[in-house]
Amino acid sequence: MFRKKSNLNFPAILRMLGWLLMIEAMFMLAPLVVGVIYEEIETLKSILYSVLITATSGAIMAFGLVPKNMDMQKRDGLLLVPVVWAAFSFFGALPFLFTGTIDNMAGAFMEAMSGFTTTGLSVITDVEILPKSILFWRAVMHWVGGMGIILFSLAVLPMLNYHGGMQLFNAEVTGITHDKLRPRVSSTAKSLWMVYIVLSIIMAILLWAGPMNLFDALCHTMSALSTGGFSTKNSSIAWWDSTYVTVTVTIFMFLGGMNFALLYKAARGDFRSLWHNGTFKWYCCVVLISTTLVAAYVVFNKLYGFEIGKTIVDALFTCVSVITSTGLLVADIETWGEFTILIMCILMFFGACAGSTAGAAKIDRLELMMKNIANEFYRVLHPNSIVNVHINRKVVPQEVVSKAIVFLGTYMCIIVVSAMALVVIGIPMKEAFFSSLSALGNIGIGIGSAANGCYASYPAVAKWLLSIVMLIGRLELFTFLVLFTRDFWHK
Amino acid sequence: MKIVIVGAGEVGSHLAKLLSSEGQDVILVDSDESKLNDFEMYNLMTYTGKPTSFASLKEAGAGKCDLFIAVTPYETRNLLACSIAKNLGAKSAVARIDNYEYMKEPARQFFINMGVDDVIYPEYLAAQEMMTALKRTWVRCWFDLLNGQLVVVGVKLREKAKLVGLKLRELNTQSSYMHISAIKRNHETIIPGGDDMICVNDIVYIATTNEYIPKVLEMTGKEEVGIKKVLIMGGSRIAEQLVRLAGGKYKFKIIESDLERCHRLSEKLPDCNIVHGDGRDMDLLHEEGLSDYEAFVALTGSSETNILGCLSAKEFGVRKTIAEVENIQFISEAEGLNIGTVINKKLLASSRIFQIMLDRDSSNSKCLALADADVVELVAKEGSRITRSEVMNLHLSHDMTIAGLLRDGKGILVKGNTLIQPGDHVVVFCLAGAMNKVEKLFK
Repeated sequence: MFRKKSNLNFPAILRMLGWLLMIEAMFMLAPLVVGVIYEEIETLKSILYSVLITATSGAIMAFGLVPKNMDMQKRDGLLLVPVVWAAFSFFGALPFLFTGTIDNMAGAFMEAMSGFTTTGLSVITDVEILPKSILFWRAVMHWVGGMGIILFSLAVLPMLNYHGGMQLFNAEVTGITHDKLRPRVSSTAKSLWMVYIVLSIIMAILLWAGPMNLFDALCHTMSALSTGGFSTKNSSIAWWDSTYVTVTVTIFMFLGGMNFALLYKAARGDFRSLWHNGTFKWYCCVVLISTTLVAAYVVFNKLYGFEIGKTIVDALFTCVSVITSTGLLVADIETWGEFTILIMCILMFFGACAGSTAGAAKIDRLELMMKNIANEFYRVLHPNSIVNVHINRKVVPQEVVSKAIVFLGTYMCIIVVSAMALVVIGIPMKEAFFSSLSALGNIGIGIGSAANGCYASYPAVAKWLLSIVMLIGRLELFTFLVLFTRDFWHK
Repeated sequence: MKIVIVGAGEVGSHLAKLLSSEGQDVILVDSDESKLNDFEMYNLMTYTGKPTSFASLKEAGAGKCDLFIAVTPYETRNLLACSIAKNLGAKSAVARIDNYEYMKEPARQFFINMGVDDVIYPEYLAAQEMMTALKRTWVRCWFDLLNGQLVVVGVKLREKAKLVGLKLRELNTQSSYMHISAIKRNHETIIPGGDDMICVNDIVYIATTNEYIPKVLEMTGKEEVGIKKVLIMGGSRIAEQLVRLAGGKYKFKIIESDLERCHRLSEKLPDCNIVHGDGRDMDLLHEEGLSDYEAFVALTGSSETNILGCLSAKEFGVRKTIAEVENIQFISEAEGLNIGTVINKKLLASSRIFQIMLDRDSSNSKCLALADADVVELVAKEGSRITRSEVMNLHLSHDMTIAGLLRDGKGILVKGNTLIQPGDHVVVFCLAGAMNKVEKLFK
């Protein structure tokens, strides 16, 4: 009856990790199939080795040690989630190393981390010469990471329904509060993945119907809906130069940035909760305002083309791409002027809705912060009045507000610290801040030497640093940072 | 099974956690959001809304649930909520009530017509449990299974018990009228095998049939104490219910510290002695002649007080002590401390719900839960593994044992050479987590 609760249950954590790695090996079979179709013999071998190594390691971890019990407490969940993400990136880097696509560990790890965290910054200078199977693996990493590795395993591993599944769910899913769609966590995970899969199928068909071939359509579907940003072309979406492609991708990136719980409800005919959702309105407003500003600035300064229609479409695409943390591009944003870059920084900071596949600080927190600021000003004039923050016509408890504000504060601290470190490493200051913002928010764009999101020229230390920053951003700071507190390891 | 529970109070929270860990789809509704915040870490869904509002019950999914349970502190709300849920389309509805009258006809039929299929009255359940405990003073717990054809008793063994020091193998050869199904030793429940020895201070769970109860009594070295006088500490609603239920069978004295409450009790229970004072006061207990009483029942609001009260009553030489312990984590400790019977309203209410679920859903077979073991009642199907050979040749795993079965309306204990026939209702003891294995055997 009296079990010690403070100790970490390492055997159980290891077994879970093993199971998850076997799932990763299963996902690696997808590029293997692509390799078979395109007859890429050399690459095929390398990927096969990666699959075998991953699956064997997973099996050893899962069955090598028999845990006395599979009970997972809060701490176990908090430890497992970052470890799983790091391990996924480590094994996910193997195909890059074995095929020789990337020749150093730092770069390969960063590429994989960038894939799973749906950042989309890359260390590969020329993606068009890569084997198709490697390109496909990059897209698959996005697709899995976008909805969440843990969330996927919650849907498929029935044992998680009992043993600490809730801890893992809470540790991985983003946002201030966690919407549960269904009574059991596995059914919630299944519903969310269902929405995701259906959207993916629709998008792939739409893209395929346009100028893209099936392979590119699939890759871009996985990369845009997961708000990732890897492309199969060096010039990203701009390569197709087609309004149809731009608009389709814009729409699905926008959907990817929406709260999936809301999408699920809307798909079941409950449009009311979508229209009445304040955060969704904020999301639309921010997108529209930023697009207007960017388009107006670009048109008035004659920075890009001459056609107003195309400018507006491209400005919309860029704003949506940045706010949803995707990072696909139709134009080189640096040519759009300093003001545009400033707008991009603001968009990169806040990101899209919580509970979506998008990264960054989330618009929910922006809404909360703005409303709280307004309240604070009101309190200056009326010190005794009771004013609460209302979201969706409900009062938000003060603890939640303070949690969100602490989050934003910590978020800024990390940007500053990481930028400082980059400056010390030798990156110019403006670029260092931009890169930190981009990595922490899982966006994946860059300026200066990292233009178009290609970070190949960065030194190895900077790559490791950015990899960690990406992970911190994807797990919404606390799940990762709590591991570095004394209390976590002490009883 | 989809279950909506309204009211995240003590009973509601306990039920929600329990049912969720049993793999049911649980939605917990309460109007107070802060109460629901504690459930973030549990595998269930919460919904903030008024329990008696059509809109919020509909939103919470009460219309599509298999079982609707209303356990808010207010019985009127519970009854109304059940009625609304039933009207929205809930398959079955259970309300917690606070009034004995509602359990009897004609009120019962009236509420069934209103949509309340079952009622739970935790105080009444507790009183019933205590009546059993007062009637069978020598057991820790007493369960009637298989329509009363099989009895499971939990007994704590002292030095003088004949069972102590025996191995189960030896026991099986000489006494075929009892089956030791589980042993609770130092907070741990074990399913004993042939080589396990019975020790002093074990709580053994013995399955037997009614006619052999005197023999079990003899083997366990216990004697029945005839109870005439009962001292109750704390004049709670349970105490009131207990006195009512006993109906003059025992002579009661209630010690209550709240003067106002004392006056009300003396009005409600005219045949009962009411004493104003603190039940922990040794002098007062002495003055009231505690040593003349055969039973001491502690029913104050504080579990600690109840446990300590019972311990001091033991020192006075009281034969039977009963303590109400509402903190579930104390129960195991309290049992270790020689307290005769521990009463917990939450556990009683939830086992009642289990019974209700069992009646509704034949796939759920659990009939009672001991600390970390389950007792399951299953029907052996045609061609299932369990019917293929004698029990001893089945090579059952060590975390389960078959206690008894019901064949042609008669309870039979299961021994090594018993062959289970299809259609038998079988009672199986298994450790928590072995339920799947047991179910496989019967399919």
